Amino acid sequence: MGGLMKEFFKGLWNDNPTFRLQIGLCPVLAVTSSALNGLGMGLATTFVLICSSVLISLLKNVIPSKVRIPCYIIVIATFSTIVDLVMHAFLPDLHRVLGIFIPLIVVNCILMGRAEAFASKNSVVSSALDGLGMGLGFTWALTLIGAIREILGSGSIFNHKFVADTAATFGFFSLPPGAFVTVGILIAGMNIISARLRKAS
Amino acid sequence: MNESVRMIVVLTVIAMVSGGLLAWVNDWTGAIISENQLQAMMASIQEVLPTATRVERLSSSPSTLVEEDPDQAREVEQATTEMFIGFDDNDRPVGYAFVGEGPGYGGAVRVLVGVDGASGKILGISIVSHAETPGLGSRIEEESFRSQFVGKTLNDPIALGRDIDALTGATVSSRAVVQAVRTGFEDASIAYERSR
Repeated sequence: MGGLMKEFFKGLWNDNPTFRLQIGLCPVLAVTSSALNGLGMGLATTFVLICSSVLISLLKNVIPSKVRIPCYIIVIATFSTIVDLVMHAFLPDLHRVLGIFIPLIVVNCILMGRAEAFASKNSVVSSALDGLGMGLGFTWALTLIGAIREILGSGSIFNHKFVADTAATFGFFSLPPGAFVTVGILIAGMNIISARLRKAS
Repeated sequence: MNESVRMIVVLTVIAMVSGGLLAWVNDWTGAIISENQLQAMMASIQEVLPTATRVERLSSSPSTLVEEDPDQAREVEQATTEMFIGFDDNDRPVGYAFVGEGPGYGGAVRVLVGVDGASGKILGISIVSHAETPGLGSRIEEESFRSQFVGKTLNDPIALGRDIDALTGATVSSRAVVQAVRTGFEDASIAYERSR
């Protein structure tokens, strides 16, 4: 049981896809202009990640290794398109914001990475937990980056504005370079915390 | 089973299952998506054309250019494919709304413009869709920017620096809205006059 829990928790901190593995950075930089965008993108990715991890784990003995990459891409693309269509139908407001990023999930290397490195070698349950942990790790990272950029760049949080309309904000943080700076500072902060924790234990 | 046969079979089966699943989901969500889009459009029309109680879509080609110059006519038609006429309770036309498009910083900006039929004045504009930078270009959605267009007619310049102030740091996005409003304004007014 402890082993299974480890598969879930590793994605949250020790193997966090954004801050530790540093994979899937394209959507990290592109969609995190607000906290809500980050949260939506994170949850959409989590859903696709869990579904594709489970399915690939189930099919791991069926898929011949020579055609495994095309198979993974078909599975991931199918789930991404389903998320795209369902979100368009039932969450049109969120889809308006995230619409152009959903197809990017297909080429997000977190999904290929977990399919290749984990789901194709492990049981269904641990693959699902791995997908859930990695997805939630991705989600909190995106939400935090989005929140910082939204506070500094637009003077609001989760679309609630707390400064006057005319107030000057750091527009730089709304733009992609601001995302690079934010991610860099957060990685540094996370390394400091990890180093302290190691020293303490 | 031979290895290459197995590769073909597995890949084919996976692709077929995926195709079937997507066809089913597309079928299921397609109707809801187009219904949502229609409702969103109707809500926007209500906003820019508040005097109308009933809205009808106009689909005919707006000008006589068809006979004279088919190529140009097609362009005009594309620019004003979406046009709506508003009627009051007594079924009298009170005004019209059209969708104009302008090139923004992150792709096309589509703007819905509502015009009063009698005076030819713009009653309001609403941004239908855009992909502008959040916090900069996305401020074209703010009331203070959009309200600058209210009261303008075809005789006004509707140009940045003349009667419309651009948003600070978002000149391209502002220009896209100006262009979107001007695109099709004349054709839409002609089409409206004709429809009465």
